[in-house]
Amino acid sequence: MKYDIRYKPAFATLFLTLKPGERIFAEAGAMASMAGKIGMKTEFFGGFIPGLLKSFFGGESMFVNHFSNSTSQPLDLVLTQSSIGDITTIELTGNELCLQPGAYIAHTPGVKVELQWAGFSSWFAGEGLFKLKLSGRGMAFFGTYGGVSEVMVKDQFVVDNGHLVAYEPGIKMNVQLSGGLMGSVTSGEGFVNRLEGSGKIYLQSRSVDGLVRFLRPKFR
Amino acid sequence: MKLDVLHQPDSAIAKITMAPQEELIAEAGAMVAMSSDMNVSTTLRKGKGGGVFGGMKRMLAGESLFLSVFRSGNSDAEIYLAPKLLGDILPYQMKGTELVVQSTGYMASTPGVEIDLGFTGFKSLFSGESLFWLSASGSGLVLLSAFGSIYEVDIDGDYVVDTGHIVAFERTLDYSIAKANKSWAGAFFGGEGLVCQFRGTGKVFCQTHNPGAFGQLVGSKLPPRG
Repeated sequence: MKYDIRYKPAFATLFLTLKPGERIFAEAGAMASMAGKIGMKTEFFGGFIPGLLKSFFGGESMFVNHFSNSTSQPLDLVLTQSSIGDITTIELTGNELCLQPGAYIAHTPGVKVELQWAGFSSWFAGEGLFKLKLSGRGMAFFGTYGGVSEVMVKDQFVVDNGHLVAYEPGIKMNVQLSGGLMGSVTSGEGFVNRLEGSGKIYLQSRSVDGLVRFLRPKFR
Repeated sequence: MKLDVLHQPDSAIAKITMAPQEELIAEAGAMVAMSSDMNVSTTLRKGKGGGVFGGMKRMLAGESLFLSVFRSGNSDAEIYLAPKLLGDILPYQMKGTELVVQSTGYMASTPGVEIDLGFTGFKSLFSGESLFWLSASGSGLVLLSAFGSIYEVDIDGDYVVDTGHIVAFERTLDYSIAKANKSWAGAFFGGEGLVCQFRGTGKVFCQTHNPGAFGQLVGSKLPPRG
């Protein structure tokens, strides 16, 4: 599949060219524009019940749009995300990646998308009860609010809540107060995520919760 | 008149240098800075889209009821204009053709350009976006603003754009508003809401990001307005 991510890093947008017979799945609402001959079908995300769960707990839409090219010439498709920021491509070759709620944009047909239990501590910290797990073979695209930083974690690493977007399954999350109750309240860091294990993680340079915290007092 | 668009694409601002006794019309609130001898008047624009009624129509379209008219004095003057959201500015040269502009995408124009409410749309049941389009005609310069970057598509045949991503398009194109999906259920749940289907030849200018979708992302976490 031919693709090009333009306007990085602030307004990253995915420009795809679907060759005849090629298909891609994308988050509901991700399509900005496309050739008139591209077929578009709305499907439940991984079946009805998982779709329902995803929608309620995963922060994702329960629907996914299926774009296909059944003509004999290449067709253009433009996908984007709701927030401004960067888009990252992942090539899956049997490896796996977990996505935090809201990050998912699109995947190619060989990729399997599953809903996984993230635990109450994750939910308590506002990160959702579930996460998306990508496996199989193919390409996946996810978005971040702001720029994206890749970090190789060995043993332990601490990440502020709301900045972790994706991580390899070898990483275990432990959400906790950043440093005692008083310290957490006064430092403004609130919850932090104490990661354990080894693998790659992806951080976004801004968090939507941070923007909300900035705007909230101005709403009168 | 000389135009420089600075800080593209994320924080675009238009710097316009005007010769003596030149005029520029801009959306109220777009002015960031200007020479001190610039004459400013607020107008309910004259002509087809003008008067109180025209102003009301513009207000319905999500535009300000008022337009500001900037007129340089007896020497050269400078003015800086910027939109409210992060994003790019697109200068478009009108040559007697017609350009349809998404209502929030209009920022400024030169006096030879007629701005009218061409298409009084309806609030979309699905996407919640207001579909109000202004029509620009005549000749001169129009400055458009976008949320995100602007990409241009040269249409020859069929092309589909989500209504939240349209900045402007040339009226040489035929267009119709339609559901993105064939089935009503798909249109409702698919999240794409309404799309604009273009046919023919001409240019469409799209914004990479949908202000409504970003508003929803942030707004859903804000307390309801008391």
